[in-house]
Amino acid sequence: MSSDFPTEPLLFFNSAEAITVDALAAQIIPSEADSPGAHEAGVVFYIDRALAGFMRDLRPLYRRGLQTLSDLSNKSFGAEFSALTDEQQRQLVETLDARAKADPDDFAGQFFRIVGEHSVQGFFGDPAYGGNRDVVGWKLVGFPGAQWGYSAEQMQPGVDARRIPISTVADLYARIRKVSS
Amino acid sequence: MTEKFDVIIVGLGASGGIIAEQLTAAGVRVLGLEKGADYTQDDFAVKQDELRYYQRGAIVSGGTVDPVTWRADNTSVARLFPWSAGVLGSDEPLYGMPAIGVGGGTLHWAGAAYRFREADFRMRSAIAERFGESSLPEGSTVADWPISYADLEPYYEKAEWEQGYSGSAGNIKGEFAPGTNPFDPPRNRDFPMPPVQQCPGDVPWVAATERLGMHPFRQPLAMNSVEYKGRPACVNCGFCHGYPCHVAARSSTHVTSVPAAKLTGNLDLRPHSRVIQVNRTPDGKRVIGVTYVDSAGETREVEAPIVILSAYALENARLMLVSGITGRGQVGANFMTHNFGWFASILPEATNPFLGTFNASSAIDDFTSEMVPDNDLGVLWGSPVISVTGDLQPIEAVHLMNPAVQKYGLEFKHWMRDNYTHMHRMYSQHTNFPYKRHYVDLDPLIKDSLGVPAIRITHAWEDHDANSVELFGGIKQRIAQEMGAKETWMDSPRPPYHLSTHDVGVHRMGYDPEASVTDPFGAVHDIEGLYAVGGGSFVSYGGYNPTETIQALAYLSAENLLERWGARST
Repeated sequence: MSSDFPTEPLLFFNSAEAITVDALAAQIIPSEADSPGAHEAGVVFYIDRALAGFMRDLRPLYRRGLQTLSDLSNKSFGAEFSALTDEQQRQLVETLDARAKADPDDFAGQFFRIVGEHSVQGFFGDPAYGGNRDVVGWKLVGFPGAQWGYSAEQMQPGVDARRIPISTVADLYARIRKVSS
Repeated sequence: MTEKFDVIIVGLGASGGIIAEQLTAAGVRVLGLEKGADYTQDDFAVKQDELRYYQRGAIVSGGTVDPVTWRADNTSVARLFPWSAGVLGSDEPLYGMPAIGVGGGTLHWAGAAYRFREADFRMRSAIAERFGESSLPEGSTVADWPISYADLEPYYEKAEWEQGYSGSAGNIKGEFAPGTNPFDPPRNRDFPMPPVQQCPGDVPWVAATERLGMHPFRQPLAMNSVEYKGRPACVNCGFCHGYPCHVAARSSTHVTSVPAAKLTGNLDLRPHSRVIQVNRTPDGKRVIGVTYVDSAGETREVEAPIVILSAYALENARLMLVSGITGRGQVGANFMTHNFGWFASILPEATNPFLGTFNASSAIDDFTSEMVPDNDLGVLWGSPVISVTGDLQPIEAVHLMNPAVQKYGLEFKHWMRDNYTHMHRMYSQHTNFPYKRHYVDLDPLIKDSLGVPAIRITHAWEDHDANSVELFGGIKQRIAQEMGAKETWMDSPRPPYHLSTHDVGVHRMGYDPEASVTDPFGAVHDIEGLYAVGGGSFVSYGGYNPTETIQALAYLSAENLLERWGARST
């Protein structure tokens, strides 16, 4: 437990739930040696904060979903999802995806889709929401983020947009503070 | 004592803002009731946030505030818009109702500023002439408008110059400039501004369509390309459609007409004020005012001899229906919306799709409206084909990605890594004929927080809609191929949405009270002093965006109101 214990305060999940969601998000957007994924982006912290606020109506759904995932995992592999090997986790995720495809009303499949959507939000949304840390999501795809605007030169064909320094909502706040002081 | 005004305007959006400006400038005392906020520019200082505005719909009302339900036919039970309201759904501004607040939908529209063409106003006759009476879809109530393009032309021009539209006109009094739209309807005057900065991803599209013998032109936009009327040029931030503008470069009545109306001192603007009923004399023949719930939750009655409903089309219908105004069964009839036929490509060159505004790109009118190509699919009316290469943030890109690609794991991650910056999109806007079986009414079960019944849509995509998507999908495929697209995919011809901020036609204009709700100026038949304006008055719906026509009609209504009001005051 101790080394897995969350590195920062949780607002909704307990630590076991956070570890499970982190593991599931990591199957949706995996980490690679030279390329961060959902884990490094802090997707679990995005989801945790969203459930403590904007998405509070989905709390019962997450609790039920995590229980369903735990049951499935224990039934298939005799252990909690977060304790499975990468290969076992992948197999389980494939099962969930297949269930979602076969029956849109299947709850386990639906829960997987929901965590998928929220992982995408946490990976590609502004870092102000607790995910996309070090703007790893934007770096991955070449999105310059929250920019005040782009010049006519930057709008030309053939421009390598990865050379535009990435900016966040917080950077735009700083810019406005600077201009007005 | 009940407060009395000359005119009450319900909803200060695309039309209401314009009418408020025109009336107050002439000395009319106007009460403006707006159910949303009156935002200041500071509210939007930093709006470059996809989660806040696009995924969580910060300025749209969403299903909890203004519920909309939908069913495919009148034997089904309607559900809260299922394409948006599920746990997976979000309040993406494209597939719900437009923003509430001063400015309404113009707070966050992409600003595509198209006039309708001449034939769009006589759709029924034009189809009958080309394909024969019998070709009209069975049960369709498609009709010609009671006004023509020529009637509206001066008001289109007024919208372009007063509201600040940019573009490059094709047909100015019969003169065609090279590189402009050769199919443009004739106009008296060019736009006040040239087009905005073109997105780079549009360049290969223009080249491909030209090679195919088509005639691409830069889209007209309600967006400043240079400083105009004290507002700056667009800065190409790429958070536009669905977002408020942080520099007020986009034309919105929130920054154009409403501030002007405020300056006259004749506008009493009350935000967070939700009208719940239109009040009439006991015989129902004359309007006397409205009942609304104010920002403190108090129910109030106000009076005026003229009440103008200028909320969203569906909200206008809802207000009339909850007030017992059915217009001989015509209120809510003839619902029409657009089917977009989204088509995406992965291009060999980078498009950098996050740059610039949504429509800072080109379109072709080669197959629009009456110029629909001969076909075996029974498609009777065409649409522009539009290139979109800007304003695409990564979460929306995930939603739009190739459905054949797995949405998790390395396959997903690598697809986004390799393709996001190369995405290009096309869409068209397919004619949705009016039918008796497509309508809105009050939902018998679902109500908003004030107990007002939700509006219920009964609408299904007909064969003509699906066939139009197929026919134009073929054209898009040809263009994509010519661009050397590495990968393409297309939306379903019968997409899940039936609501898209492009919803019109639920209080049709006409002269026959048995077949329409208002006259061409928006005056509701049989009820003196009541007006309903906006897209609700459309008689048919071709492939162009609705807002410029809505704004032109607002200028027409305002002029007519002033004539009538002038007569009243002497």
